[in-house]
Amino acid sequence: MAPRPARAAAALAVLLVLLAGGCHERPPADGPITLVFKHAKILGPADPVPGLLRRFEAEHPGVRVQSEALTWSSDEQHQFYVINLEGGSPPFDVMMLDVIWVPEFARAGWILDLTARVPAAERDAHFASAIEPAVQDGRLWALPWFMNVGLLYYRRDLLAKYGLAPPETYEELVRQVRVVQAGERDRRLDGYLWQGKQYEGGMVNVLEALWANGTRLLDEQGRPFPEPERAREALAFMRSLIERGVSPAWVTAADEELTRRPFGDGRAIFLRGWPYALDLFELPDSRVRGRVGVAPMPRLPHGRVGAASTGGAHLAVSARTRHAALAVELVRFLTGAAAQRAMTEGAALRPSRPALYRDAGLIARDPTLPALLPLILAGHPRPITPYYLMLSTTLQPEFSAVLVGRKSPARAIRDGTAQVLHLQEALTR
Amino acid sequence: MSDRRLGWLLLAPALALLGGLTVYPALWVIWLSLHYRVPVFSISRWAGLAHYAFLVVDTRFWNAAGVTALFTVASVALECGLGLSMALGLWGQRRARRAAVALLLLAWALPSVVTAKMFEWLYHPAGGLVNFLLGGRPINWLGDPLLALPALIAADVWRTTPFVALLCYARLLTIPGELYEAAEVDGAAGVQAFARITWPLVRSILLVALLFRTLDALRAFDLMFVLTGGGPAGSTETLTVYAYRALFQTLQVGFGSAIGVVVFALVMVVAVGYLRMIHRQEAGA
Repeated sequence: MAPRPARAAAALAVLLVLLAGGCHERPPADGPITLVFKHAKILGPADPVPGLLRRFEAEHPGVRVQSEALTWSSDEQHQFYVINLEGGSPPFDVMMLDVIWVPEFARAGWILDLTARVPAAERDAHFASAIEPAVQDGRLWALPWFMNVGLLYYRRDLLAKYGLAPPETYEELVRQVRVVQAGERDRRLDGYLWQGKQYEGGMVNVLEALWANGTRLLDEQGRPFPEPERAREALAFMRSLIERGVSPAWVTAADEELTRRPFGDGRAIFLRGWPYALDLFELPDSRVRGRVGVAPMPRLPHGRVGAASTGGAHLAVSARTRHAALAVELVRFLTGAAAQRAMTEGAALRPSRPALYRDAGLIARDPTLPALLPLILAGHPRPITPYYLMLSTTLQPEFSAVLVGRKSPARAIRDGTAQVLHLQEALTR
Repeated sequence: MSDRRLGWLLLAPALALLGGLTVYPALWVIWLSLHYRVPVFSISRWAGLAHYAFLVVDTRFWNAAGVTALFTVASVALECGLGLSMALGLWGQRRARRAAVALLLLAWALPSVVTAKMFEWLYHPAGGLVNFLLGGRPINWLGDPLLALPALIAADVWRTTPFVALLCYARLLTIPGELYEAAEVDGAAGVQAFARITWPLVRSILLVALLFRTLDALRAFDLMFVLTGGGPAGSTETLTVYAYRALFQTLQVGFGSAIGVVVFALVMVVAVGYLRMIHRQEAGA
């Protein structure tokens, strides 16, 4: 039997816990607890989210999950979060975040530290390239909900017709475009479509070119353009695609949809895109149905392998939530294997758990999974830093200037470096 | 209670509302612009005029200021010129006036993001209607730094000319027909009647349209944001797009507020200038 003071302390602790529980998490007797879940509308054949939330509610009596849709545009979502999280008590508990925002939100103290709340095994069940961006200062801040990776789409029928295999290098891709275009004699058949508009997607395309040439945007210390010569070559190559007519000049204003549609109409040989397009190309009324293949992104002379950017959405818990334990449980439930399976079956989304890509039952529903697995494993996250958005918006006009031929690559790298250094100086002073 | 006090009392709700909704936020933004404030990095300290000093040497800021000026002058001039011509055309038209007015309203009534998305496809170099009508040449409207701004100006003109046209048309309808009959008797017709009767009467409303359009154009945001994102190479980045990027995309609240204050000051100067012109005209008329 424990001595008296210890028992008194234990009793007091129990009482405090009860009181604290009474304050923070009202018992169901006072009416149900409502968790607010903020997320973008899930497109696809059948939105699986309502069904999943009802299942969570059934497993947690007395809890109601209210799902609220965000606007479609990623910029507006970010703006919504910034205004609500900076202002004080946000009207939501669980939120969907673009992977590139997680370090920023963690640094701002807007989201809950999940390190102690999520077992290591559960963390390791996701792709490393999806977990890495969710870790900041050694702590875990969010769990991946679904996964995205850049792909090279090619016209299988056209390549087969000229006896070509999907290109491993960009020079090969250029040669193949020449061969196919010369053979087809169709002025309306473009070579290689990608996204060169001044926006985040354009940034992704530039990053992929840097990786393809064996370099990066930031080194370990966060300094920009550690190998300026390789970066220069990568940018010069992107511009040369337009100058040589391999890519039409309009890619300098193109986003995902503007390039996906012409390719889907059979008017291009290659396309850099995301997996969602795969489902659209295979729709019954698609003009390229059954004629599209996917390959890893090609490499440039100094790169060993091509590398595509990863992307996707994560789920995090608001730091100001009044129901932290329940909100974390909801995040773990929605990012769990069962929920991700439902998301893959019902919506045109790919899971962040490698095991699901080897799941025979799921492959029967989505036959593209095995082909995507190696591409995701080879994928790169974008620079993981709380100031990624600053970096990206600062550099986008510089890269755009190279793509439209307004600045030489060397000049853009010089100007971009100066601006990034100015920004870093202002932030760390 | 004296009349005077009652007057203030009755005014109080309106003053409080205006103060709360406009003056307070404006002062708050000015206050923010005097700070380094980046919530993400827990940075919040006094900056004085440092942000404004940086703006003086910031090439991106001057580029945005130039784009804003060019966009404003070109789009407002075209809108007012075309709007007045349309109003005169409508006025002289005998048939289907109502249908024409309804059609005009349609363009103006579309939400601007919808307009922007529509133009994105119209301008598409490969499949867009604009290039098809121009004979199928693949003109790179939104991806060429020399063409992107004119393309946006054209979209803005398409969208807001009806606003100017309707304002002018409404004014024209109030001009009594006897004025023209009298002029005709005196031997003034055509150009002379326009110069002596129509123009002086329509001028004041055109000035109001000019005021509204200039203030809108100085704050132009949605078209460039949706269509070009400010690109290519920053050639369509206006001051408000730059402010938005600083404020909401990169969370530099202090610096973004400084850009906002500059836009605010610019708008105020222009508004006061116009109001003076309108005032003078009314006094002269």
